[in-house]
Amino acid sequence: MTYSSFLVSEFLVLWRRKQDVFNALLFFVIVVVLFPIGINSSPEFLAPAAAGIVWCATVLAILMAVEGMFKEDYHDGSLEQLVVSGLSLPLLILLKIVAQWLTVVLPLLLMMPLLSEMLYLPSSGFWVLTMTLLVGTPSLFFIGVIGSALTVSIKQGAMLVMLLILPFYLPVIIFSTLAVKASQAGLPYSGLLAMLLAISLLSLVISPFMTAIVVKASVN
Amino acid sequence: MQSSASLTISDLWIERGERDLCKGLSLSIQSGEVVRILGENGAGKSSLLKVIAGILSPLEGQILYSGEDVTLDRSLLQHDAIYLGHSAGVKSLLTVAENLHWYCPDAPSSVLYSVLTQLDLVDQVDVLVKALSVGQARRVALARLWLSKKTLWLLDEPFVSLDARGVALLEGRIQQHVLSGGLVVLSTHQELLSIASRDVALL
Repeated sequence: MTYSSFLVSEFLVLWRRKQDVFNALLFFVIVVVLFPIGINSSPEFLAPAAAGIVWCATVLAILMAVEGMFKEDYHDGSLEQLVVSGLSLPLLILLKIVAQWLTVVLPLLLMMPLLSEMLYLPSSGFWVLTMTLLVGTPSLFFIGVIGSALTVSIKQGAMLVMLLILPFYLPVIIFSTLAVKASQAGLPYSGLLAMLLAISLLSLVISPFMTAIVVKASVN
Repeated sequence: MQSSASLTISDLWIERGERDLCKGLSLSIQSGEVVRILGENGAGKSSLLKVIAGILSPLEGQILYSGEDVTLDRSLLQHDAIYLGHSAGVKSLLTVAENLHWYCPDAPSSVLYSVLTQLDLVDQVDVLVKALSVGQARRVALARLWLSKKTLWLLDEPFVSLDARGVALLEGRIQQHVLSGGLVVLSTHQELLSIASRDVALL
């Protein structure tokens, strides 16, 4: 096994599980669309609330995507093969996260212009929202993957993953929505983006190693 | 493949839950040897193989591979070892060919095709593993033994789910491997018909 053959296999598996990825994206769109219908469709309400709506939907979609990240590998024994491959397990986990992030977040970003129009988000807010998604969503994956590995051997682990990792998502949601609101109010937001970047970088350093320890504990 | 590899285990002690396994086990295996681990259910056969492979850590003891101490970091051994556990260890959402490319990306297509022909899997080359029978999935896992050039094979009940032809093929491949200087440690309740092995019984 090599790192490149592993990455190719991850993309192939994600392609075969495209229904799961599609479900997460569909869920994201449904949540965003239901807000204006269910609460208030006026631009005065939607424009300031847009960042919060998009981020809540994003968090839920990412939770759906990360929950089962190791389930299939655990049950078919391929997770065990990663542990004994002689390759760096943290690096393999990092590649797995990258593949998952690209598959889930890129389509989500592609849908953003349309959804932003629907939520009456001004163009300045749109670009900041896109930046918060680019900078903030990696941390959601890095944090989520630890919860996913912790619950890999539990049959109904989805709720447990949510309970475990949702508190760690709150700072990301808060900084992201504050950044968009600051940009809409004409205030500086670079500090908030820097905080998001710092959270992502910190979780990038910690998460693959922690997840590797948890995966090793799970397979034995 | 290393021509003069060796595996030495000294004073091993494995703890699984509340149980002590393989307490004080010492074992030395040289190139060209097949060691069969015997023991009742729960004696620690799988745990021993997992410890050697680096999935489990021993409570005490030392593991040397080709003279190098790999007790704390098994990566040197893992680079030269294949471990096949109870699960087939093949990705159920990949096809047979994709699984083998995943595990042995350097194997040429011609070799891959010839191995799959030997293992009666050539008609399933583009079939997802999840659509195969348990025995066929096991054969996909075992195909790695034909494709990989690693020296140490750690096989946990490798004959499970195989038919008579599969068992004969695998025995033949193990024999071929040890003749070319490989080391094989396997746990099985099955009598090895065509392979001379050294038996190690776990109490």
